[in-house]
Amino acid sequence: MQDVPSLHEVSRDLMGRQRSRGSQALPFLLPAVSILLCFTIFPFLFTVALTFSRVSLVGGLKLQFGGLQNWIRLVQDDRFWNSLGNTLFIVAVAVSVEFILGLGLALLINRPLRGGAFFRTIFILPMALAPIAIGYIWLMIYHETIGPLNVLLERIGLPPVGWVSRRNVAIYSIIITDIWHWTPFMFIVLLAGLQSLPAEILEAAQIDGTSGWQLFRYITFPMLRPTAIAAIILRSLEAFKIVDEIFIITGGGPGVSTESLTLHAYYIGFLSFDLAYGATIAMSLFLLVLVVALSMVRITQRYQRVEV
Amino acid sequence: MWYRSRGVCFLIITLLSISLLTAGASGQQKRFSGVTLTVITQNPPYIAKAVQMFAPEWEKRTGGKINLVTAPFGELYSKLMSSFTLGTAAYDLSLFASAWMGDFAGNKYLLDLTDRIKADKDLKWEDILPTYQQTVTWGGRLYALPIDGDVHTVYYRRDALENPKYKAQFKAKYGYDLRPPQTWKEYRDIAEFFNGWDWVGDGKKHYGVLEAFKRGGQAFWFFMSHAAAYVSVPGQKGNMFFDPDTMKPQINNPGFVKALEDWVALVKFGPPGMINFDSGDVRSQFAAGTAALALDWGDTGIVGDTDPKSVVKGKIGTIVLPGSLEVYNYKTGKWTKLTKPNVAPYLAFGGWVCGVMATTKHPDAAYDFCRTIAEPKNSYIAVTTAETGLNPFRASHFADLSGWKKFGFVEPDLSSYLGAIKASLSHPNAQLDLKLPGQARYLDALETQLARAAAGEISPKAALDAAAAEWEKITNELGRDKMRRLYREWLGLPAK
Repeated sequence: MQDVPSLHEVSRDLMGRQRSRGSQALPFLLPAVSILLCFTIFPFLFTVALTFSRVSLVGGLKLQFGGLQNWIRLVQDDRFWNSLGNTLFIVAVAVSVEFILGLGLALLINRPLRGGAFFRTIFILPMALAPIAIGYIWLMIYHETIGPLNVLLERIGLPPVGWVSRRNVAIYSIIITDIWHWTPFMFIVLLAGLQSLPAEILEAAQIDGTSGWQLFRYITFPMLRPTAIAAIILRSLEAFKIVDEIFIITGGGPGVSTESLTLHAYYIGFLSFDLAYGATIAMSLFLLVLVVALSMVRITQRYQRVEV
Repeated sequence: MWYRSRGVCFLIITLLSISLLTAGASGQQKRFSGVTLTVITQNPPYIAKAVQMFAPEWEKRTGGKINLVTAPFGELYSKLMSSFTLGTAAYDLSLFASAWMGDFAGNKYLLDLTDRIKADKDLKWEDILPTYQQTVTWGGRLYALPIDGDVHTVYYRRDALENPKYKAQFKAKYGYDLRPPQTWKEYRDIAEFFNGWDWVGDGKKHYGVLEAFKRGGQAFWFFMSHAAAYVSVPGQKGNMFFDPDTMKPQINNPGFVKALEDWVALVKFGPPGMINFDSGDVRSQFAAGTAALALDWGDTGIVGDTDPKSVVKGKIGTIVLPGSLEVYNYKTGKWTKLTKPNVAPYLAFGGWVCGVMATTKHPDAAYDFCRTIAEPKNSYIAVTTAETGLNPFRASHFADLSGWKKFGFVEPDLSSYLGAIKASLSHPNAQLDLKLPGQARYLDALETQLARAAAGEISPKAALDAAAAEWEKITNELGRDKMRRLYREWLGLPAK
C-alpha cells in the first residue's frame, strides 16, 4: 500500500514548487521590472521629492529639503487657481459636447447606411492628426484677418470675431478645437459599444412596438452606459492634460485666460526653470486626475451593481 | 651595378621624403581630424543657418566634424540648462542668447575664453562694438564671442509719413507736423492717425502700428523699449531693473507704469489679433504693407527690403527709438520735465553669442568654430545673408555697403537702416538688457503680467505691482546679497 502524503506535506511541496518557479521567473521579470523602476517609478518618486525641495542649479542640480513651501505657494498662487479653473471648464464643456456629438454620430452610423464605411473613416480622421498639427490648422482658421472663419463671417455681412484675441472668446476657440479633435474618439468607442449590444433584445423590443426614443431611452442607453462611462473617463483623463493646442493657438493668452494647468507647469518648470514649483503644479494635476478617475470608477461600479 | 642600387636607394629616399612631407603638411592643415563637435542652437533657419553656412568650410579646413542639434527658441534655454545641471556634457558649444550669460557664465557652465580671445589677433576683437564686447563679459572675463548685434529700432513707411496730403490732415488733427516720431506720444498719435483706413490706396484696410504682445513672443523686450526713455536718467546707473543698493524692483515705479499705459493703448491701433503677435508676425506683416509703424530688431528692415514678396521695399525709414519729454528719477522719486526728448535706445536681447561648454573635451576646436563665425569676413557675410537672423555688431559691418546692396537693400532705406542702428549703439544713454542669473524667471514673471494688462484683465499699475512682488520673491529665493553683488558687478558699480 502506497503512503498517502499528509495535507501538510502536499502544501509544503506546492509552496516549494511555487518558490522554485518564482526564482526561475525572476530573471525573466527583471528586465521589465528594471525598466518600470527606471522610467516610471523613479521619475514619479523624484517628482514627489521635488515638491518638498528647494532646488539650486548653481554648480549642478542640488536639492535641499524645503518642507511644504511649494505646496503653500501653490495654494496662494492666483495663476494656479486660474489655470485650474480653465482646465476644469475646458474638460467639462469639451468632454460633454464630445460625448453628445460622438453618441449622435455613432447612432447615425450604427444603422444600415450607404457609404457607412466611408463616413466612419472620415469621422475618425482628426484623431489621427498630431495635436501640434491641429493647433496650427486651427490657428490659421482663427486668424483674424485672413482666416476662413472671419472671411466667411464678413461675406455674410457679420463683423469679424477675435477668436483668439478676445479674453472671453479664446477659451471657447480652444474648446471648439478640442471637440473637433476628440469627438472621433467618443464616436469610435460608442460605435463599438453599440455594435456589441445583443441584437435579440433590441429586436424583441421593436416587435413589442417600442418607439425609437423609448428604445434608446430604456434599452440602448442603459446597456451602453458602462461603455459610455469608460469613454468619458478615458477622454476626461486625457483632456485634463491639454497643452499642445493651447500652446500653439494662444500660448495661454490673451493674458492668462486660456492657460491650462499643464501649460502653467511647463512655463514654470521649463521657461522659468523653477523645477520644484513646476513639479508641484504637475503633482497637483496628478492628484486631481487621480481623484476624478477614482470617483468615476466608483460611479461605474455603482451602476454595475444596480444593473446586477 | 653599385650605381644602379644607389639610384634605387635615392629614388626610395626621395619618395619617402615627399610622402613624409606631404603627410606632415596635411597633418598641419587637418588640425582637428577625428574631432566631432556637437553644436546646439535655435531651429533653422534663423541662427542655425550661420552654423550650416560655415560648417562645411570649417570641416574642410580642420578635418573636424560638426554635429548640429537644434531646438525651438522656447526650449533652447531649458535644453541647455538641463544639460548643464545634469552634467551630461551633451554639447561642445552653443549659439545662445547673451541674456542667459548670467545663468551660464555666473554658474561657470562656460569656458573662460579671455586668454584665447586676447591671443587671437585675426579675430579683430577691437572691431567688435564695445556694447557687444560687454554682452559676453561676466565678472571682468570673456565667456563667449559676439556673433550678432541686437537693438530695437522703429520702422516707418516713408510713403505714408512723407505724403503731403496726410501731413496736412495730421497737422489739422493733432496740431503739430507729421514726421518720424521723436517721442512716444508722437508714435502713439501716428499709430492712431494711420489706423483702420486705406492710406495706401490699394482698396484694403491698413493699420497704425505693429508690435509683439504675445507672452513667450518677446513682449518683454518690446515693453522695455518703451519704458527705457521714461526711466533712464542719463548718466545714472540702475534705472532699468533694480535699485542697485537694495535690489528692490524698479519695474512698478511711475515711469514703468506710464510706459505700460502707453504700450497697452497701442493694441487698438494695430491689426486685429495683434495681441497674439510675436516678432515674426511684426516682420511679415510690415513687409506685407499692413502698418505705418513697426518696432522690432534689425530683421524687419531686412525682411522689408530683401524679401522678394515684400511690398515695402524702398519705402522704409528707420529711426532710433523715440524718447520722452519727461523722465522719472527713481532716486529722487520725481518726474523731470524736459525740453528735448530723453532718448534711451534699448539693446533688447543683447544679441546671440557663441560660447564653449566648460565640459567639452575639445576646447580648442570648439573655440575655433566659434571664431570662424565671429571673425570679420565671415560675420560680414552672415549679417548680409537672408535668414541668418544675425545683425551687425562690428564697426566694419557698417563701413562696407557693397554686401548690403548685394543682399537686396536699396537706398535710401539702407543708409537709414544702418544709420539708426549705429546711432542707437553709440548713443550715450543706450540701455543694456538684463543679464543676471534667473533672467528667464524674471522675464517670464513680468511677461505674464504684461500679457494680462494688454488683454485688459488688470490695470497696468496692478500688473506691474504683481510682477514686482514676483521679482522680490525670485530675488529672495536666489539670494538677495548674491544678486545685488552680481547686479552691481554687471552695472560696473563698486561692491557694497
